[in-house]
Amino acid sequence: LNLLPLSALLLVTALAAPVTMLLACLWRSPREQMHNLLWLAPIPALLASLLAVGGPPLILNHPPYRVALLLDLPGAMLLGVAALLWIVAGFYASSYLRGNSHGARFAICWLLTLTGSVGAFMSFDLASFYLAFALVSIPAYGLIVHDGTTGVQRAGSIYMALTILGETFLLMAFVLLAAGSPGGSLLIRDAMAALPTSPWRDPALALLISGFGLKAGLVPLHVWMPLTYSAAPTPAAAVLSGAVVKAGVIGLIRFLPFSTAMPDWGGALAGIGLLTAFYGVAVGITQTNPRTVLAYSSVSQMGLIAAVCGLGLAKGDEGVVIGAAFYAAHHVLVKGALFLAVGVVATTGSRRLSQVLVLAGVLGLGLGGLPLTGGALAKLAVKPTMGEGMIGFLGTLSAIGTALLMLHFLHRLTLTARPDSEAAAPRGLVLPWLTMAIASVAIPWVLYPAAGVGKLSDALAPAALWAALWPILIGGILAFGLRRWEDRLPRVPEGDLVVMVESAARKSVEWGAMLERAENITRQWPIACLALLAIALLLGAAMLAGR
Amino acid sequence: MLALTALPGGTTAGGFLLPLTIVLPVVAVLLALMLGGRKAESMVLVLLPVGLGLAIAIVVGVWRAGDSLIYHVGGLAPPLGLALRADGLSAVMLATTAIVICATALFAQATFRTPPGSPEARAPLIFWTLLLAVWATMNIVFLAGDLFNLYVALELLTFAAVPLVCLDGRAETLQAALRYLLFALLGSVLYLLGTALLYGAYGTLDIVLLSGRIRHESAAFAAAGLMTTGLIAKTALFPLHLWLPPAHAGAPAAASAVLSGLVVKASFFLVVRIWFDLMPGLLSEVAAGQMLSTLGAGAILVGSVLALRQPRLKLLIAYSTVAQIGYLFLMFSLSAGPAGSEIALTGGMLQAVSHAFAKAAMFMSAGLIAEALGHDRVAGLGGIGRALPVTVFAFGLAALSLVGLPLSGGFIAKWLLLSAAITTGQWWWTVVMLVGGLLAGGYMFRVLAPALAEVDEPLVLRASGPRYREWVVLTLALGSVLLGFAPLKPFRLLQIGRPTVPEVGSR
Repeated sequence: LNLLPLSALLLVTALAAPVTMLLACLWRSPREQMHNLLWLAPIPALLASLLAVGGPPLILNHPPYRVALLLDLPGAMLLGVAALLWIVAGFYASSYLRGNSHGARFAICWLLTLTGSVGAFMSFDLASFYLAFALVSIPAYGLIVHDGTTGVQRAGSIYMALTILGETFLLMAFVLLAAGSPGGSLLIRDAMAALPTSPWRDPALALLISGFGLKAGLVPLHVWMPLTYSAAPTPAAAVLSGAVVKAGVIGLIRFLPFSTAMPDWGGALAGIGLLTAFYGVAVGITQTNPRTVLAYSSVSQMGLIAAVCGLGLAKGDEGVVIGAAFYAAHHVLVKGALFLAVGVVATTGSRRLSQVLVLAGVLGLGLGGLPLTGGALAKLAVKPTMGEGMIGFLGTLSAIGTALLMLHFLHRLTLTARPDSEAAAPRGLVLPWLTMAIASVAIPWVLYPAAGVGKLSDALAPAALWAALWPILIGGILAFGLRRWEDRLPRVPEGDLVVMVESAARKSVEWGAMLERAENITRQWPIACLALLAIALLLGAAMLAGR
Repeated sequence: MLALTALPGGTTAGGFLLPLTIVLPVVAVLLALMLGGRKAESMVLVLLPVGLGLAIAIVVGVWRAGDSLIYHVGGLAPPLGLALRADGLSAVMLATTAIVICATALFAQATFRTPPGSPEARAPLIFWTLLLAVWATMNIVFLAGDLFNLYVALELLTFAAVPLVCLDGRAETLQAALRYLLFALLGSVLYLLGTALLYGAYGTLDIVLLSGRIRHESAAFAAAGLMTTGLIAKTALFPLHLWLPPAHAGAPAAASAVLSGLVVKASFFLVVRIWFDLMPGLLSEVAAGQMLSTLGAGAILVGSVLALRQPRLKLLIAYSTVAQIGYLFLMFSLSAGPAGSEIALTGGMLQAVSHAFAKAAMFMSAGLIAEALGHDRVAGLGGIGRALPVTVFAFGLAALSLVGLPLSGGFIAKWLLLSAAITTGQWWWTVVMLVGGLLAGGYMFRVLAPALAEVDEPLVLRASGPRYREWVVLTLALGSVLLGFAPLKPFRLLQIGRPTVPEVGSR
């Protein structure tokens, strides 16, 4: 490593820190203590996001090693806020896990997921990205099933099945990308440059959108998300919904060929995205568990981001990624904070509740674009892409929906407060929540001009303020209506379509039994000997036929 | 008849290493039988580093020379004498075999120790001598350059492998062993028939000489068909796998590791020899290659689904072997055309090697788990991860390779095979491979999810043997992970010494 530039060194350190802590887990005493130190692991990643942006790519290409890392602007934005969330949630986890005997397993899964989460934002070649993506997806299983109850096991199994499916889509997609890449180069940049003219363009795009869409929770592949977020322990749910899900977003940002206009694919993705945005709201308002409501809100928000990416792809507009990344970064902060709030409220009595609720309300409505919040900036960032026409109108409708969903969330959250009205949440939970809440409001205001997304004065113009406010007001009115007629809504089970997936799974068990019976027959002597004879004849015939 | 293809004259530098890999274990077998059980065990332990060193020296020798190492037995060149040849393929398989055998021997020391005070016991004596015999015969299979020698080696390998299945002497395992023996003999008969046909038609059995003389005519095709069928019966390719699950699941863990990891690869290796080296023209026979790959696809799907349904861990792993063997046979249709050939061969061989490491590690960890729990029911694995963390970790690493997730040799192998399928325009095999990966994820999840679950009441474990074995298993599993650092392109090593004859013979 002769004279690595500082930026490259920072990127390496960002990955090395969690890996080192994982290696320390090989010994018993660090392993037992590790859940108290989780907040340390993402600090180098946070530094890297601040100092290593736009540095030259680090390419190690001396076989057998081949790793390429690069931190571009969208990656850095997401990495920075994700690292912050990982730090704060790490603090939260250490109080949350106090006295829990299974802390070591939680810590190991946490660190593995963190490594993948950091790696996904900075991987610059297909193989590294695939590894990072597998890391950010598979070990999360251990976080989800931490509590070990039966419902949690079900969520974990469904998560795992769909995750492996997503990995499968992406494996095939990446093989297609590599096959179309000039000289078999594995750098994402080269593969993407060749994609528009690749003979495998269409299957590759379909697989990429399915794989990353699954991670981001696009309908109909979103079914794991509500189950998972309500099953996972609070700090895990916070990082899963905030940081981990953004591996899907960075995937869409990195692996869609924005340089070429593709109206068909772009339109399809935008359509799926908008459908997801409304679907999440529609199912979310029927849910009673505040975590599930938040999960459906994530589904909805990810749908909006996918729609933005789709519109950019349709127009061939590379600039769209900055807006999408900014929107996603805001979501990292807010969704992380709101999940932490759920944990805080669960230990707070009704007397002390108002402060938490007000702050959570501001953050939640921020997702709908409440003026002066970071959310207003996020909405502005994607506004040029959404435009003024039909799509812009749908965007406004989704803001109304989000406001409605968030008010529903607040209502449901209130009901989960401790019955003991004087109870106060422990400091170890409150401080991380406050930190995250303040960061959610403040950081977007710093990031918006710093990342060159736009000018702050645009957000403060009276017309912009009003345009952001009225959808929230309509959402508020609708929320009153919802409270009134809530009983008439159908009860949609958590994870909605998952019920169909599960019945298909049961069906396939029957097919498995049939296959087992058939296999039993092939294992009988007469059948096997006949097969032997038949294969010998057929092979000979096949060879002769080819003459 | 054409003039003899010029053969490289005599033994090459480093060629003397080749017979040593065979002679040393054979001598040790004979000595073990003469000197008794306790000596057999210590002899194996002495031989391990020597054999491993030889295998590594051969790999280095082949790599340095950039060509095959050759040894002519008795100084006579074929067709009069016999030749041993180590090309890149052989070198890789020799090294894999040596590593897996060494790990197995270290692992088995605790199980097959001659009880103190008695000069020998039946099971240990048989295990150690047969382990040596398997090693010697595997090495012959990789090195022999003559189809009849290969027949003898295959036969000896079968006779060495079968008793390993029934070491515990239970009626159930005896039956499994008998099944294995009979079916393997059927396979041998077909192989021998093919050999006889070739000898009758071309008057030689030396692979290099034969590949120069062989023509695309009925006799050659019939021979190739018969030999291939015999060999796939010994490899347990679906639907000829009836013998594998009971045999591999019934054997003691150390024996299963060798049988599943290595022994089935010997007959597979010969199929590769026949299709790639003896009659490279076969690869352009589209129908035949597609047929082998179709059987492979069947193996992947049926084996994986059956693995999902097994109630016992060892049976699950055995069915996973049935499935993983399927991937090996995809390379026969993926090798069609110049673009596919090298990637597919590399992918297939990497699959063979990483499966050897992963499957051996997996059977051994299953053995440790069964020893600790007193059973190997998949439903009863809850909490074993906390009781045997290193073992379950090793199992998990091996599972990565079988599912095809990074970092693992299985991932690279699958990537290369998928690439070959794409570049040769045979996308349908990618569907099979991907579904196979999903199913593999499913059956590994069935084991790992309960194993890693935290249970509130601690498991009651039986007193188990020495813990160092956990680290042996972990080392093997790490081997399959290390293969994940292989580059995503054809390996030069595998091409060394292989004839690059595009079209052989005239019509």
